[in-house]
Amino acid sequence: MSFLEVNDLKVHFPIRGGFFGGTQGYVKAVDGVSFSIEKGKTYGLVGESGSGKTTTGRAIIGLNKITSGKVLFDGQEINDLHRASKDIRRDIQMIFQDPYSSLNPKKRVSDIIAEPLRNYEKLTKGEEQKRVQELIELVGLSPESSVKYPHEFSGGQRQRIGIARAIALKPKLIIADEPVSALDVSVQAQVLNFMQDIQKELGLTYLFISHDLGVIKHMCDEIGIMYKGRYVESGTKEDIFNNPQHIYTKRLVAAIPDINPRNRSQHLQFRQEVKKEYEQSFNKYFDSEGLAYQLQPVSNTHLVALPEKG
Amino acid sequence: METSKIELSNVEGDKNLNATKSPSGWKIIGREIVRDKLALFSLILLTVIIILVYGVSLFLNQEEIVTVDLFSIHEKPSETHILGTDYGGRDVFGQLIIGTRNSLSIGILVTVMTGVIGIIFGLVAGYFGGTIDNILMRILDFFMVLPFLMIVIVFVAIVPKYSILSFSLIMTAFLWMGIARLIRSKALQEKELDYVQASKTLGTSNLKIMFTQVLPNLSSLIIVTMTLNLAANIGLESGLSFLGFGFPESTPSLGTLVSYARNPQTLEFRWWVWVPASVLILVLMLSINNVGQALKRATDARQRRG
Amino acid sequence: MWKFTLRRIVTMIPQVLLLSIIVFVLAKMMPGDALTGMVDPNVDPNTIAEKREALGLNDPWYEQYTRWLGGVFQGDLGQSIHFKMPVSELVWQRIVNSFWLSAFTLVLTYLIAIPLGITSGRYNDSWADRLITGYTYVGFAMPIFIFALVMLWVFGFYLDLFPTGGSIQPGIEPGTFEYIMSKIYHMLLPALSMALITTVSTVQYLRSEIVDTKQKDFILTARAKGASETRVYNRHILRNSLLPIAAFLGYEITGLIGGSIFIENIFSYPGMGQLFLSSISLRDYSVVTSLVLLFGMLTIIGGLLSDIILSLVDPRIRIK
Repeated sequence: MSFLEVNDLKVHFPIRGGFFGGTQGYVKAVDGVSFSIEKGKTYGLVGESGSGKTTTGRAIIGLNKITSGKVLFDGQEINDLHRASKDIRRDIQMIFQDPYSSLNPKKRVSDIIAEPLRNYEKLTKGEEQKRVQELIELVGLSPESSVKYPHEFSGGQRQRIGIARAIALKPKLIIADEPVSALDVSVQAQVLNFMQDIQKELGLTYLFISHDLGVIKHMCDEIGIMYKGRYVESGTKEDIFNNPQHIYTKRLVAAIPDINPRNRSQHLQFRQEVKKEYEQSFNKYFDSEGLAYQLQPVSNTHLVALPEKG
Repeated sequence: METSKIELSNVEGDKNLNATKSPSGWKIIGREIVRDKLALFSLILLTVIIILVYGVSLFLNQEEIVTVDLFSIHEKPSETHILGTDYGGRDVFGQLIIGTRNSLSIGILVTVMTGVIGIIFGLVAGYFGGTIDNILMRILDFFMVLPFLMIVIVFVAIVPKYSILSFSLIMTAFLWMGIARLIRSKALQEKELDYVQASKTLGTSNLKIMFTQVLPNLSSLIIVTMTLNLAANIGLESGLSFLGFGFPESTPSLGTLVSYARNPQTLEFRWWVWVPASVLILVLMLSINNVGQALKRATDARQRRG
Repeated sequence: MWKFTLRRIVTMIPQVLLLSIIVFVLAKMMPGDALTGMVDPNVDPNTIAEKREALGLNDPWYEQYTRWLGGVFQGDLGQSIHFKMPVSELVWQRIVNSFWLSAFTLVLTYLIAIPLGITSGRYNDSWADRLITGYTYVGFAMPIFIFALVMLWVFGFYLDLFPTGGSIQPGIEPGTFEYIMSKIYHMLLPALSMALITTVSTVQYLRSEIVDTKQKDFILTARAKGASETRVYNRHILRNSLLPIAAFLGYEITGLIGGSIFIENIFSYPGMGQLFLSSISLRDYSVVTSLVLLFGMLTIIGGLLSDIILSLVDPRIRIK
């Protein structure tokens, strides 16, 4: 049984307008998304800005309202996480994208990390401090960090504070919303490696949201590709990178920079081919509104958005 | 594309790369005030006035000062009455000291009360947004439409048991809107930031988030606004007392002293009655304003002198 | 734009209605009613009670309110208890005076503020700018009644340059040139006192707008194209900065209303502010409530005017 299951999730935002401020239409940020994640695995959600990947993550954790569809966590329905029981809420946590706004600038690190502990557990001051120090050590920061303020740290360090905060309650599922996108490339590697280490140590399941296919390739076992609120392809790492079927996926894969300068002209040619194919076959892969079709199975693990055979 | 695992202990090296200093804090405020000679001077002057006024008024007998003494009407400044007497034979200097104390006290009281109401109102409206914000803003818009001076004068005229407290309450009731608006717009901005979203996922209740997470980030706005409001409120209270709709005459106030200038004789020939009070009102408002402006510059990223 | 105006007017209606209800309730809360001034206290209390009933003063409040509201729409604002004449007549006399004073004040305000603001912005950090900024600093914190008093003292009494009360020299034929000159002469000091304080916000705004615009890239482009400094200012900078001032006009009205109460009091100028204060002291509540209603309406309309002008002037704000 899958750990997290998302069924036909839709998140529509009403557009206010008109004379009386009534609803003019909807922005279909997420328009029928389904996937499932097994325990202990890392699932990657990929797409460009506006694809709906962040909205999906936020909808699962309850920060955005779900218009329709189901979210099942460990068998339990959690459509509105806010109203779900407190126990379930502690099991799903989030790592945020922006290290500069995800930590309250007016709070010390110890208070930031202790916040979830104060909400869910009754600890004495001493016990709380001990837990906080353990977490600080776990993420690789010096023990004096607990009395400092966020602005005294670099971006990478702040992300690690955010991670410490997210794992404080020993959650089972962590939704990582572009956790390294705002960091320098050298720092990215450190944080990603760290995330993998603690995944093994704490038995975490990740929903990893990113626009960077290179990062996704490094971190994820299974991948889903989104475009304008819908899935265009999903499958295992091998499926996506070795055998991309949808033209959008092909374009994304082609865009991954290749570090080897000898392949430069080859790579350029490849990208140009993919671009040509994209422009020629656009209507084969996207419907009249420019949105993807329903997903069709191509193999056991591989699904592609294609028009129905008929 | 392979990424290699790098030792975590190396990570401390990038500590200073992206660190940015927080733009406000007591040190920054202090520095800004000291650099701004005018603000520093104003602050010192204010402190001196406050100490003087509150201190000396302890020695003065208010009852005595407001008792009408028909034998000493309109006396010129002398040894017994440093600033002479008014049309009721009452000591002007005593009224000046106690009046300043009263004006300061009521100014602070009204500022604090409007601050509390305004902050709660603005926070709730800004944080929750949506329907709650709409309703609250309708209420606020309505209050803003009322002509402040007139409404306060009318209320002062009809309230049966008129006292200092009722005066303060009336002023507060029609003055909270300014700060509420400012707080609301800042709260609207803050609630979009990720740390608020994070608190929600961590299980913190909305009430707690509003007052323990968002409010501290509004602190500089609150301090600046309340300081500037204090200056304005003192001016408003003096104006109302000047018109006769502020403090009752049995309570000395700066505005009442200035109102004696409505008598053309007093205006032209008995300057010692109304000029000191006017000067004091001006000095109080200006100096509080100066300090407030310095605070404002300290909290604004575009600091001019810091 | 019409849609926008219509929507604003629609939101205005409940505000006005609410205002009228509050005013009405206030009136009811005040001791005494329409009969108090008109009746000889020696008359038998029963007759008084009968009269009350006849005038409908014991009817439920919503009936009284509807009647009052109906009267307002027809221009009947009740009777002044003190002056024993219809309120509307009383108000009309004063409104003309107040209107001219306010208009004169506004003219003076802009005549002073605009050159000062432009100078301050254009030559910023020069001694002229420092002087003007100092003036705005003091003016901002200065309470209007103190300033007006000092003006009256210095120019009215001490230097004896201006009349110190009233709106006109008694005994002059209305409609003659002398009449108009006398009127202006009497208005000069109060209007000037008010204007010098009101200019402050406009000057500050102009200065900061000009300083900001000056630094924008498109000004650099204009200069690089060889435009003279004056042309740069007139064509580019001022156009951006001046128009919003027209929008603030509506908000200035609120300030004028408040200020007029002090100014008319100090200069003994017979306008609406004076009428308001004297009616309150005389407990002439029908006048008071009518004036509050009137001023409230003016504030609302002023706000509406400002929003409309602003939307016309700034294409960014123009809604849908």
